Amino acid sequence: MEEKRTTKEILQKRLSNEKRTPLYRPDVLERLREEFEKWKNRIVSKEDRENWHTIPRTILGSDLPREMLYTPLSHPDFDYMQDLGYSGQEPFTRGIHPNMYRGKEFTMRQLTGFGGPEETNQRIKFMLDHGATGLNVLFDLPTIQMYDSDDPLSKGQVGMSGVAVDSIEDMEILFKDIPLDKVTISLVTHYPSNTAILFPMFLALAERRGIPWDKLRGSVQNDITLEEVVRSGPEYIPPKNCFRIQCDNIEFIRQRVPLWNFVTYNGYNLREFGTSGVTEMAVALANAIATIEEMLRRGHEVDWVAERIAFFWSPASDFFEEVARIRGVRRLWYKIMKYRFHARSPRSMWMRCHVQTSGVSLMREEPLNNIVRAAYHALAAVLGGVQSLHVDSYDEAYSVPTEEAALLSLRTQQIIQAETGITEVVDPLGGSFYVEALTNEIEARILDEVDEIEKRGGYINAIEAGWLHQKISEFFYKEREMIEKGVIKLVGYNLYKTPLELPSIHVFQYPEGVEERQKARLARLREKRDHEKVDAALRALEEACKRGTNILPYSVECARVGCSEGEIFKVFKKAFGLWKPPVFW
Amino acid sequence: MGFKIKVLLSKLGLDVHNRGLMTVAKELRDAGMEVIVLGNSLPREIIHTAIQEGVDVVGVSSLGGAHLTLGGELIEQAKKEGLIENTVFIIGGVFPPDDAKQLEEIGFDRAFMTGATKEEIVSSIERRVSEKRERSD
Repeated sequence: MEEKRTTKEILQKRLSNEKRTPLYRPDVLERLREEFEKWKNRIVSKEDRENWHTIPRTILGSDLPREMLYTPLSHPDFDYMQDLGYSGQEPFTRGIHPNMYRGKEFTMRQLTGFGGPEETNQRIKFMLDHGATGLNVLFDLPTIQMYDSDDPLSKGQVGMSGVAVDSIEDMEILFKDIPLDKVTISLVTHYPSNTAILFPMFLALAERRGIPWDKLRGSVQNDITLEEVVRSGPEYIPPKNCFRIQCDNIEFIRQRVPLWNFVTYNGYNLREFGTSGVTEMAVALANAIATIEEMLRRGHEVDWVAERIAFFWSPASDFFEEVARIRGVRRLWYKIMKYRFHARSPRSMWMRCHVQTSGVSLMREEPLNNIVRAAYHALAAVLGGVQSLHVDSYDEAYSVPTEEAALLSLRTQQIIQAETGITEVVDPLGGSFYVEALTNEIEARILDEVDEIEKRGGYINAIEAGWLHQKISEFFYKEREMIEKGVIKLVGYNLYKTPLELPSIHVFQYPEGVEERQKARLARLREKRDHEKVDAALRALEEACKRGTNILPYSVECARVGCSEGEIFKVFKKAFGLWKPPVFW
Repeated sequence: MGFKIKVLLSKLGLDVHNRGLMTVAKELRDAGMEVIVLGNSLPREIIHTAIQEGVDVVGVSSLGGAHLTLGGELIEQAKKEGLIENTVFIIGGVFPPDDAKQLEEIGFDRAFMTGATKEEIVSSIERRVSEKRERSD
């Protein structure tokens, strides 16, 4: 049997046949090289010559060496049409749309969620009234971890770090007076399992309001990496089953809710947990490749799936690396879709992405500095050509943002959009010797790491074997050490420290009484719902889990008849059993 | 110090954030302590394990907002079981400075916010352990 070739091998073989038309003439390059050597030896100091390459050390950085000065010699075989092309054209390096932000502004999509559905409903309306153009709804810890508000494990945590949702009744209150068919809504259901539980509640709510599912626009995350690698939780289902649920979600949503983005490969939380920007993207791509393979195996067309795939990245502090990363991964995704999967629709080749400025890059010391940090992160993202943006708030090293801090984050985006003039010109950094060389370098490194994962037997195996868990822990121990030794410099923390007392900061106060309110509502639901229908729906779901058919029609039925989140998760645990993730420390 | 400090580390409740706990686990081990990691647990399980393992230090991590509710319950349970006198309790994570003060008032030996260094964590554990040992001797 012929050995299966990796994505990198396929791309290399295909692209080596491509005839290149370099922009720089060989004789001109030769002349430049001579002048360069002369300059370097006569004008550049000995010290600078010896330290020609330096490595910027930053939080979550990739440690890519940088030259002191970039020139055409940094990318001598630069082929304009092949490497860049025009915007909205293959290979999409310069952006997925010809006119980018002139045509469509980036969506200002701030995260919202705390307390009960009542409180979050109010905050959603506040953000929409102040010009937010999209919504990201964040769930509280019990909801994310799939336990009901009245579960002993949930005690003291209901409504914290997000909104509590136990059943369709809470969904109803959460979206009260919000036209589901008019606003795009991103449900931050990190995991495949909770996507398969919570999104059906949203669908059942739309049904109740008489809104057809094909009118709904928005997204879910639905990413195995978050459930099995990034998360710390009391119980895990095995990776194989988790991946199957991820694919069931994708298949069902594609079939029945055609305008909905069924997966957002979440590099963000992985990187924030502890990986470089290169690994962040390599892992997301490996997961996307595994998903498409599974969808082909299920008999679907590649474009049918790929047209709605989206990504989520974390832009951190190394400014030019961040710009180059977004450009580089956009080109790489195009190549993968075109040459590995033979996609035909340009939409399938678009690396569409949402970004959130880096949270772990924010410091508790001198919190106002975080406003500046987040603004630079956001600027890099916009220069990289992202589709939508969330800016972290300066008080997030303390707590959930106050209303004032959340508004300031939105204002940061609005200032970039309305006042800086940046959005007038497409891919303004394109053609910079530095940015293009860095884009090439990062793209190659991402592909190398995808290759490593594939050679380990693919992404699911890499999770099961603990490869990724180990890589992450090695990364963050090393990073911590570099911060403590002052190798990574952080203003106000290990550099220019002020001896002053910490300034007092007005922090967010959680509303009171949420847990009691949630418990009471759940008790009322358990009392009034049709018990026979509930039991039958849960039994049918368990059967589907075991049988191997798509589970979503069954979990939608569970949502309709008023099953709670915890009850549905119990079915998964019973049907699939539990898995113990590897721990390295 | 002449004896090996035994530490139990755990995540409070359903908190999903793991990095802080794993980092501290490794740093305490590197500093010569014996470290047991319990993972996500409720106060009752943590206290139960602490008694069973006879640890000197109980450390909990909370980044999800439950530091006062679950942290408070942990200290209550520790008092009920008579553990508070001879065991050092530390908590780390994301919380406002006023809450850190409050956590120390209700009985935590130290509340570490983000940015605490290895040196700070290790030395304050060592100091508190020997103080509590002397007192209970």
